[in-house]
Amino acid sequence: MAATSVILDATWEHIVLVYTTLFVSILVAVPLAFASLYNRRLASVVMNFANLVQAVPSFAVIAIVVPFLGIGFVPALIAIMLRALLPIIKNTYIGLTSVDPALIDYANGIGLSEWQIQRYIRLPNAYPAMFAGIKFAAILANSIAVLTAFIGSGGLGEIIFQGLIGYNTGKLLSGAIPAIVLALLIDYSFTLLEKKLTPQYMKS
Amino acid sequence: MTGIVREIVMLWEKHLLTMRTIEHLQMFSTALTISVIIGVSVGIFIYTRPRTASPVLNFLNILETIPDLALLVILLPLLRLGTGPTIAASVIYSILPIARNTYTGLKGVDDQYIYVAEAIGLSPRDILLKVRIPMSLPLIAGGIRIALVFIMGVVTLGGLVAAGGLGTVLQNGIQLYEKDVILLAGLWTGILAVILDLGAGRIEKKLYERYGTWQPHR
Amino acid sequence: MPTQRLFERIESIELQQISKKYGSRFAVESLDLSIEGGELLILIGPSGSGKTTTLRMINRMIEPDAGNILINGQNIIQLDPVSLRRNIGYVIQNIGLFPHMTIGENVGLVPKLEGWDEIRTTERVRHLLDFVSLPPDRFIKRYPRQLSGGQQQRVGLARALAMNPPLLLMDEPFGALDPILRKQLQKEFLEIKKEIGRTIVFITHDIEEAFRLGDRIAIMDNARLVQVGAPEDLIFEPVNDLVADIVDTDRKFKHMDTLNVKDLMTPLDAKYILDGSMDARNAVEIMKDRDTEIGIVFENGILIGKVEMVNLLKHEESHPFLRDIAKPMKVFAPRDSVATALSEMKKSGEYMAMVMNGDTVGGMLVSDEVLLKLI
Repeated sequence: MAATSVILDATWEHIVLVYTTLFVSILVAVPLAFASLYNRRLASVVMNFANLVQAVPSFAVIAIVVPFLGIGFVPALIAIMLRALLPIIKNTYIGLTSVDPALIDYANGIGLSEWQIQRYIRLPNAYPAMFAGIKFAAILANSIAVLTAFIGSGGLGEIIFQGLIGYNTGKLLSGAIPAIVLALLIDYSFTLLEKKLTPQYMKS
Repeated sequence: MTGIVREIVMLWEKHLLTMRTIEHLQMFSTALTISVIIGVSVGIFIYTRPRTASPVLNFLNILETIPDLALLVILLPLLRLGTGPTIAASVIYSILPIARNTYTGLKGVDDQYIYVAEAIGLSPRDILLKVRIPMSLPLIAGGIRIALVFIMGVVTLGGLVAAGGLGTVLQNGIQLYEKDVILLAGLWTGILAVILDLGAGRIEKKLYERYGTWQPHR
Repeated sequence: MPTQRLFERIESIELQQISKKYGSRFAVESLDLSIEGGELLILIGPSGSGKTTTLRMINRMIEPDAGNILINGQNIIQLDPVSLRRNIGYVIQNIGLFPHMTIGENVGLVPKLEGWDEIRTTERVRHLLDFVSLPPDRFIKRYPRQLSGGQQQRVGLARALAMNPPLLLMDEPFGALDPILRKQLQKEFLEIKKEIGRTIVFITHDIEEAFRLGDRIAIMDNARLVQVGAPEDLIFEPVNDLVADIVDTDRKFKHMDTLNVKDLMTPLDAKYILDGSMDARNAVEIMKDRDTEIGIVFENGILIGKVEMVNLLKHEESHPFLRDIAKPMKVFAPRDSVATALSEMKKSGEYMAMVMNGDTVGGMLVSDEVLLKLI
C-alpha cells in the first residue's frame, strides 16, 4: 500500500497531465476542424489519418514518440494528444458539416457574413457532437495517462508500475483504484455538464 | 538501403519479433472469439428481454470508461500475471460494442420483413435465426470491428504483465532505451493493428453491400 | 420440423359475426361472409374499409375481438398459428422478399423449415420459378435487389405457392406496378389461376381488376360488408348507391360512340421503345433497369411490333434480334373510333395497341387507361 500523501500527489499529477492535454487538444483540434471546412484536401487527410491512428494501440503510440522526443511530461503529453485530438476534430467537423444546407442558403440570403454564419449557425449546431468528442477524449486521456507513467510522466501509473516490479498488490490497487474513480468522475461530471449546456431547443 | 534492411532483419531476429507476433495474434484471436460469443449472446439476451437492455448497456458503458491498464491491474490479484488477465480485460472491454451493435441490429430490422415472415408461417425462433440475425450481420460486424481495435490495445499492454506478445518488446525497448527497437516494434504493432482494422472494414463493407442497401423497387 | 397438413382442399371458409376494434373505432364490424372452396373472392372498398383487417384475420395475423372463423367447419382458433399460416399462401403489395437470401432461398425457405431435403426443395423451387415465368437457371442464385419490381412480384407469388397451399391470400399484389405491367401480370395470373384451381381471397381497389379476376366480389365500406355477389349481381342489383358507384360501368361507356382514338390514347413513354437490331439478352437487361416487362420495337423509325419479357427470357440463349421475334401489334389511326378499337382489341385478347399517324407515332391505346380516362 502506498502512503496517502503519495497517492494524493500522484492523483494531482495525473489530473494536471489529463487536463493540460485536453486543453491543448481542444485548442489545436477546433481550429483544425474549421480549417477543414475550407479545404477538402485537408479534411480528407485529417479524417483518414484520424481513422487510421484510432486503430493503433496506445502503447505503440507512446513507444513511437520516445525515439523522437525522449521521455518525460512533454513526450507523454504529445503521445496522449495524438490520440485525444482525433475524436475532437472528427466530431467537431461532423457537427459543423451536418448543418442543413438550406439553413446556410437562407443565412446567406439574409446577408450574414461568412464569420457570422460560422459563429451563429455552424458552431451552435456542432456543440452536441463537439461535446461528445471532448468527453470521449477526456476519458481516453485519463486512460492513456496511466500508461504514460512508463515514459516518465509521473501520476497514478507510476504507483502501478512500482507495484508491478515487486508484484505488490497493495501498490497496484492504490494506483489503479484512484484512476478508475477519476474515470467515473469524468464520465459523471461530463454527463452533468452536457445536460446543462445542451440548449433547450435541442433537448428531446 | 540494403544496410537498413539488414539492420531491421537483425533487430527483428534478435528480439524474436516473429514469435512475439504469433503470441500477440494468439491472445488477440482467443480474446476476439470469446468476445464475439459473449457479446452476441448478451446482445440477443437483452433483445429478447427488453427490460434488461438499458441497465445492461449502462453497466457496460461504465466498464468502458475504466482506464485499460487499471482494469488489467485490478484483475491481477484474481488471475495472476500472464495471458489470463490480458485476455479477460480484452474481453470485458469489447463486450459493449458487440452487444450494443447486435442489439441495435436486431431491433432495427424493418417491420415489413418481420410481418411477411410471420405471414408465411415462420415461428418466433425461425424469425430470430433466419431473418433478424442475418439481417443484423453488417451492424454486428461493425461492432466486432470496434472490439478488434480495443482488443489490440489491451493485448499490447499484456507485455507489462508478463503475457508476452509485442508489448513485451516495447516494454524492454523503453526500459533499456533502445530507440531503434522501440521504433521498429512500435511501428510494426501499429501497422499490424491498422491492417487488421482495414481488413475488418472491408468485410463490414461487403456485408453492407450484400444486406444493407436493399430497397424493394430501387 | 414438419407441420401438419391441415387441409388438402378448402370446402368452405365461414366468417361469422366477426368484429375487430382499434380503440373506439371498428375496423371490422359484425361481418358475415362465406367463401366457397375453389373460388376467387375479391375484397374491394375504400381504404380504411376493413379489407386488410378481414384478410389478416383469416391467417390469424390479427385476432378478432368477437366472432368465429371456420375453415372446412373447423374453428381456426383451435389451430396453431404457425401451422395454419404454412397452409395458407400470402402475397402482399410490397412483396417483402428477404434481401439477404437468394431468390432460390426465399422461395425454398418454408420447405426447408419443413424439413425437406436439398434435392426436393431445389426441384420445387425450380418448378415454381418456371411456373411464374422466371427461368430458374437465370434467377435462382440472384438476390432480390437484382430484380425488377415485376420480377420480384413473381417471386413473391412463387414463395406463396411453395407449400402448395389450398388457400391463397393476396393483398393488392399488383397495386404498386405501373398499369401496363399490372395488366400483363393479371393476364398471367389468370392462366396460373386456371392451372392451380385453389381458393383465393384477393384485395384490390381497382374495380377493373376485380371484374377481370374475381368469381365473386365482396364490397366493404366503413368496417362493414355491404354486398357480395357475382359481377352481374352487383351491376344489375346494387344494394345501395355506394355499390352502384363502385361498379357502375354504364357511365364509362356513355360517350364512347362520339370519341376517337386520339382522345383517349396515352403518349408512348420512351422507356418502352427498343431498337430492332438489339439482341434479346441486351433487351432483357435494359427492360429490367427500366422496370418494364414489355417493349415496343422500332427499326429505322418503323414499328416492328412488341416483345414481352417472358418470351425474351425463353429466347435469350439463341441471341436472336428483336426484329426477328417481335410480335405484330394492332395499329389504329388517331381518327378511328374508340369503341371499334376496343372491341377489336377485346376480340383478339390484347390489352394494348399502337396509334400511328402514317409513319409517325401517335401514342398507345391501353384498354385499362381508356376506362380510367372515361370515369
